[in-house]
Amino acid sequence: MKVHSEVEAESILKVSSLTKSVQLEDKTLALLQPTDLTVNNGETIAIVGSSGSGKTTLLSILAGLDLPTSGEVYLKNHALHQLNEEQRSQVRANHVGFIFQQFLLINSLTALENVMLPAELANIDEAEQRGKALLEKVGLGDRLDHYPSQLSGGEQQRVAIARAFIGEPDILFADEPTGNLDTKTGLHITELLFDLNEQLGTTLVLVTHDPKLAARCQRQVEMDSGVLTQASENSVYVSNENSTVANVG
Amino acid sequence: MTSSNNIWYKQSLRLLDHELRRGELTIIFLAIVLAVATVFSLTGFSGQIKHAIVANSTNTIAADRVFGGNGPIDDKFITKSESLNLNVAQKVATDSMVFFGDNMLLSEIDAVSTNYPLRGELKIQRAINGVEEVVGGPARGELWVERSLLSRLGVEIGDTVEIGVAPLKIAGIITNIPDRSYRFLVAGPTILMNVDDLPATDIVQPGSRMWHSYLFAGEPTAIETFEEWIKPQVNDTQRWYDAKRAQNRLSTTLGSAERFLSLASMLGIVLAAVAVAVASRRYGQRHQSVVAVFRALGASISHVRKLYCLHWTLLSVISIAAGLLLGYVLLFMGANAIEEYLSLDDSPLTFTPFITAIVTGLLCAVAFAIHPIKSLIHTSPLSVIRGFSAAKDVQFGWHQLIPLVALLALLLMFSGDIIMSFSLLAGGLLVSIILLGLGRLVMNAGRSVGTKAGKSWHLALANLKRRANENSVQLVSFTIAIKLLLLITVMKTSIIDEWQAQFPEDTPNQYLVNITEEQIAPLTQFTEENDIPHRGFFAVYRGRLTSINGEQTIRIKDNQEDKLANEADKDKENKEKEPEGRRGMGRELGLTWLNDVPQQNKILEGQWWQKDDKTPQVSVESGVAERLDIKLGDELAFNIGGREITASVTSLREVNWKTRQLNFIMIFNQSVLADFPATSISAWNVAPEKKDAFYQLIGQYPTISMIDFDNIMKQLNQMIEQVTIAIELILVLVVLAGSLVLVAQVQASMEERERELAILRTLGAKGSLLRNSILFEFVALGGIAGLMASIGMEIGVFFLQTQTFDMTGSFHFSYWLVGILSGAGFVGLIGMLSCYRLLNLTSVTLIRRTM
Repeated sequence: MKVHSEVEAESILKVSSLTKSVQLEDKTLALLQPTDLTVNNGETIAIVGSSGSGKTTLLSILAGLDLPTSGEVYLKNHALHQLNEEQRSQVRANHVGFIFQQFLLINSLTALENVMLPAELANIDEAEQRGKALLEKVGLGDRLDHYPSQLSGGEQQRVAIARAFIGEPDILFADEPTGNLDTKTGLHITELLFDLNEQLGTTLVLVTHDPKLAARCQRQVEMDSGVLTQASENSVYVSNENSTVANVG
Repeated sequence: MTSSNNIWYKQSLRLLDHELRRGELTIIFLAIVLAVATVFSLTGFSGQIKHAIVANSTNTIAADRVFGGNGPIDDKFITKSESLNLNVAQKVATDSMVFFGDNMLLSEIDAVSTNYPLRGELKIQRAINGVEEVVGGPARGELWVERSLLSRLGVEIGDTVEIGVAPLKIAGIITNIPDRSYRFLVAGPTILMNVDDLPATDIVQPGSRMWHSYLFAGEPTAIETFEEWIKPQVNDTQRWYDAKRAQNRLSTTLGSAERFLSLASMLGIVLAAVAVAVASRRYGQRHQSVVAVFRALGASISHVRKLYCLHWTLLSVISIAAGLLLGYVLLFMGANAIEEYLSLDDSPLTFTPFITAIVTGLLCAVAFAIHPIKSLIHTSPLSVIRGFSAAKDVQFGWHQLIPLVALLALLLMFSGDIIMSFSLLAGGLLVSIILLGLGRLVMNAGRSVGTKAGKSWHLALANLKRRANENSVQLVSFTIAIKLLLLITVMKTSIIDEWQAQFPEDTPNQYLVNITEEQIAPLTQFTEENDIPHRGFFAVYRGRLTSINGEQTIRIKDNQEDKLANEADKDKENKEKEPEGRRGMGRELGLTWLNDVPQQNKILEGQWWQKDDKTPQVSVESGVAERLDIKLGDELAFNIGGREITASVTSLREVNWKTRQLNFIMIFNQSVLADFPATSISAWNVAPEKKDAFYQLIGQYPTISMIDFDNIMKQLNQMIEQVTIAIELILVLVVLAGSLVLVAQVQASMEERERELAILRTLGAKGSLLRNSILFEFVALGGIAGLMASIGMEIGVFFLQTQTFDMTGSFHFSYWLVGILSGAGFVGLIGMLSCYRLLNLTSVTLIRRTM
């Protein structure tokens, strides 16, 4: 796999001149204007914005789920924009963790089996022990054999968090992780997510429209109609001269 | 880094295990089980029956060759066979009455020589549960009877019964006849007696219906020599055949019965396949999120493919195995049910049913599921962010070719007939399209009615219409199943009664055969004393039409007749004669003479003779005249008991065959036949209260055979009953398969239904309204199917009435009600059961689940 020599050691994710557009019948709809973004190792960053602003599109490209129309994406030195679906799968299996708004647990697998899944795919031994330990950590040690349908929304998201961390990913993408939960449960989940993140030192890219959740991140960028702007830096962090940049094209 | 080699294997098993236990694969499982079990039991059953009847019996004609005819054989045949060192055995078959005290029973009498059979084994038991022994023909004075005769006549082994005027002792029960006629469903039980006892019975009279068989066996070369010598001498009413030809005829008959059953069961299998298709579509949709998550978490396509291939393969294997097991149980039950008629103990189960059933299962599992599974595997990981494509309407495309080809392959496998399979497939598609169109119309009509009806009905009919695409499959399947069930019910209960009711009051119900000249006077006296209506006594001569205008008649191979022929050893064995000459009747006819035109016969052409006209004349039934191209003035030659007579055609008659009166194709003037010996027949209408006196009278004349029409109708009804049980069983399978489709469809629409209910709940709809709207939707669906089935049934009945029974059509509205109510009730019930979970969700859960 290609390694981009210019990418600094501490940056885990680097995006430059990224665009995404879709072809509708007779015209082209630009979902993302040319975008640059660098995320450093261990950093937590929130992409905020209203519905339809393009933040989810950006997330799916960053995570290697989708390909950009133009521009470059480097994740852990892998040039995602040059990889095919299968190669990107491998990158995801080895480096990426996910947390989704709809939890997306597999209904016919138990909580433990759901958690074990990424570890198995990444060929990690002791998937079961690790899974049990993680479920213990998220407070579901006594619910290992329960199916998702037997768990509440908050519990399901806790299983999803355990699943996200089991492979000890280098980077974790969370898409509105509290979007389907009530405020109180949402707060618990937020705590859990950031606690685990801190313990394991994982890089976190979080998409949300919830300002409180965004405020927990070290840095916030804002999406608006496909344009990325730096919203704020919670813990002053500047990577380099044009650090977190939104470039209006 | 690659995913480990056997992780997919573990995950696949895990998924299968959980999903089986959680009941998520039940529909697919049941559908495959149903298809496999149906195919296995039917193929196995018919195969075993065929084997038991045809292949297993060492010899189906009890000889190497058989010569059969209406009279005794020419002595020169016997002399010739003896010169070739052939063994000859004799068998004379006729139907006659057997008497025991006041009981009497029409039976098939086989009078055989003691060296019968020449090939194969005749087995009897000398006591009820005695040892089976292999024997030759019975000794003089003794009878061997089929077991069913004992109970039907109320006799035991050792009792003496009378056949004609001869007392004969029942000495054993027949357990195996090598050349069994398999008329057991229509004729009485078989009785074997010694052929030398036959004259003493007095049942052999001039004009009696007797079939004389001469059985030959010996060295193959001698047999062939004899065959070459005898073949040219066989006339068109005689038969010369070997075991193979007899077997061919038998297996052709069995084959068509088997095909009919297979095709009927095809409906069930096709529906099962549709259930697999519907269920696998839902399966594909439901698993989209699983695949997307797998892919998002980094599983490769090949990982997912392997996982699902194994998953689906194991599911298929488990289902097929369960199907085979269930099929075996059904087969076992079937074999038990017919044990009385036919033992299947010695008929091994071949590989054919296994292979056919497994192929069916695989076709169902693979061909009908391959498209959904294929698109499932290629679910984009992006779906985890973008969401999942909702259930789309069925798209027409190349991928539908696979199930269609599979369907054709299934049909081909069953019928073994390309043209039939194609026409069935095309016909099936056409019928489905027509039913679809009709169903849509009714659903649309229902929609506008619904607007005026209550709220629940309104919602129900709106839903029905909106899901018209999905509903139409169920509509078609339920319509067909209900229609066939209705048709059978109407057939069983109404048509035959109606047919019987349309005859005038004096329609005969007792037919007397084999009446001698001396017996006519006392019988006439009895009818006068007891006021029994009848149309007289008709002298019957058995004769053969030998030539028309001097041109020899021959038996022309009639394909249709050949297919319909169902007797192995009698009636219509084809000749290999060169087709030289005119088309003849191909069988012996019952001839009579009359002075006056019979009632309900109409002279179409020519004129009836004067009573004392001595010129030989014949009146011909118009239908036969047309078929044989006989015109007024033609000279017809007949052979009656070896003597040739000639008469010219002076009239053509239209005969009303519907009257159940005695009718004749050829009627002569008296002078032609007066010199020939004959017995008479007569048809009486005996009122129920006069039956005892009538039976007493018949008891005094044991050589007269009495055919009780009421009894025949009773037997016919029993036969219909037996046949319909088989058809009904298959229809039950069809209904089951249809229900599976329904349940599968309901499950496929479950998420959508949940969402709708949630919205309605939020808008403040009451629980009862929601429940009723779901109930009414299914009730309406079933009701529409019932209505269309009733229409279909009425059309079917109309054709049966007018074409088969030759009666005027009539409506059966009470059955419409049965059809509509049962359809509505059944589909309503199945629908409610499958929505059980949905209806039991509290509104909070409902809203939370779907928001």
